[in-house]
Amino acid sequence: MNIKKQFTEGLITNNPVLVQQIGMCATMAITTTLFNGVGMGLSVLIILTCCNVVVSAIRKIIPEEIRLAIFVVVIAGFVTIVDLLLQAFIPALSEALGVFIPLIVVNCIIIGRAEAFCQKNTITASFFDGVFQGFGYTVVLIIMCVFREFVGSGRFGGGLIDVANGFRFTMDGTGAGIQLFPSQYGAAIMNLPFGGFLTLGLLIAVMQYALKKSAKKKEEAKKAAKKAEEEVSEAC
Amino acid sequence: MNNKTVKLAFVLFLICAIVAGILGVVNELAKTRIAQYQDEKELKALSIVLPADSFSPVKLSPKNFMGKKISVISVMQADNGSGYAVKCSFSGAQGIITMLVGVNNDLKCTGISILSHSETSGLGANAASTAEVGVNFRSQFEGVGADVALAKKGGTIDALTGATITSSSVTNAVSEAIRVVESIG
Amino acid sequence: MLTTILSISLGAILINNFIFSQFLGCCPFLGCSNKTDTATGMGVAVVFVMGLASAICWVIDQYVLIPLGLQFLETLAFILVIAALVQLVEMFLKKSVPSLYSALGIYLPLITTNCAVLGVVLLNVQNNYSFIESVVYGITGGLGFMLAIVLFATVRERTEFSDYPECFEGFPICLVSASLVALAFMGFSGMSIFG
Repeated sequence: MNIKKQFTEGLITNNPVLVQQIGMCATMAITTTLFNGVGMGLSVLIILTCCNVVVSAIRKIIPEEIRLAIFVVVIAGFVTIVDLLLQAFIPALSEALGVFIPLIVVNCIIIGRAEAFCQKNTITASFFDGVFQGFGYTVVLIIMCVFREFVGSGRFGGGLIDVANGFRFTMDGTGAGIQLFPSQYGAAIMNLPFGGFLTLGLLIAVMQYALKKSAKKKEEAKKAAKKAEEEVSEAC
Repeated sequence: MNNKTVKLAFVLFLICAIVAGILGVVNELAKTRIAQYQDEKELKALSIVLPADSFSPVKLSPKNFMGKKISVISVMQADNGSGYAVKCSFSGAQGIITMLVGVNNDLKCTGISILSHSETSGLGANAASTAEVGVNFRSQFEGVGADVALAKKGGTIDALTGATITSSSVTNAVSEAIRVVESIG
Repeated sequence: MLTTILSISLGAILINNFIFSQFLGCCPFLGCSNKTDTATGMGVAVVFVMGLASAICWVIDQYVLIPLGLQFLETLAFILVIAALVQLVEMFLKKSVPSLYSALGIYLPLITTNCAVLGVVLLNVQNNYSFIESVVYGITGGLGFMLAIVLFATVRERTEFSDYPECFEGFPICLVSASLVALAFMGFSGMSIFG
């Protein structure tokens, strides 16, 4: 397992949302402002990394029969820690995400990675897997937020960026964001559940299109490489 | 019940106990911070709705709630005698809204502050927003009496765009809150 | 009392439908909706487990966690209760009602990671519901889930035969059709019950 390959897997070829198609609930529910998206993404990244490391560390000592129950307990533990810390230090985020923070427990990404990856791999590999898978998840959330916020209310970076007194980042969710066009011309429907389903559908469609195209390209490149001499394949 | 089952149950129990122990420590560390934040938030909201900086709770009797369409959580009286703040909850368009309503001694609203809600982001959620649209919406309630109503029902309050339900439930709640204060006298 | 129950029920089934307005339980919703039969089976199983989980978790929260000041363990306790409950229901059905087991059996394990179940329990706590309100909210929330998944399965059976761009194959076309069903459900959001 090399790190570079894990990185592309997490971000593109095996992206948790776009390719594995798991963990959709929160993806569609909270992506209405950039503040929520970044907050949720980073929370999942932290929880996923911690769980991956712990699961991988205890993988040899836990009994096979009750491994799922143990994974769930470990995950619930980390989720509660993050939940409590958010309530104490970034209360605005905890209020904005509401019930979706404790619901990270049943986010299939985390239990899925524990079962599919960490059980069989070393601590280091699991650590990077957590970071990259979490990063891939965060990137998807950010893309969805940016799109929905722009189309829905003509804004960028709601809650996170404050431009009233010079450009700065806010942690308390009060930043009004950058208004790109007057909000009354936005399609407010993108902020509603409809927009969540539609945006994710379009995003996965684009991803499938791109993956198919790159697969085709690779095939063509292989054919070309076969025709050409070895030097070409070395360049690849 | 054989040995294996007992062993498995023991392992699971042990792990639960460890996790619960760690959580207990984290909770202990975070607890004061969370409580402090809640207090600050409440006091901030109170000072928005009433011009006072200290408050004491009012004892309520069942007759204060009779026939009210909102549930009253608590009523605080400003120590400088400027009026009362009613903390109440009611259902909005999507879920429960918790709101603080300031009422002065002439039974006029002095301001409102929404403590928690789950309204649609970008529409109903504007009622609680710190942006201009939210501030303008809430400031309409300053000085209104128990007869407050939405503009489309012949009153003075302009509803938020695309959020008539949220606006009308907030308006009704303000009116009910004033009646609660009236019943306290 | 009756009004509250009615308003909770209508709210959970139509106005705040678990899937179309709160996004709880989307994974099984998209995963188990390719046939109407499967969708119905999943729906019934969810109603059953959500009702039971609401009742048991309410009791545990009120009589164990709150008196001991252990509210911070809620998430952990609830997920364990749900997992154990699903196991017990599975064992019970297998032994005593085999016909029901053969119909629901394969869906039961999937329910543990259905966020609608954990979601409903957490929302009960958040909304300070009483025992009866919690159970009603659990059952009607499940009914809302069932309505959504069965309706959507019929839509999906149709999309099988339609002609859409190749890259929409699989999940994307489902999500796009789900967005249209969600749009239809938005029509209920204007409803308010008894003032």
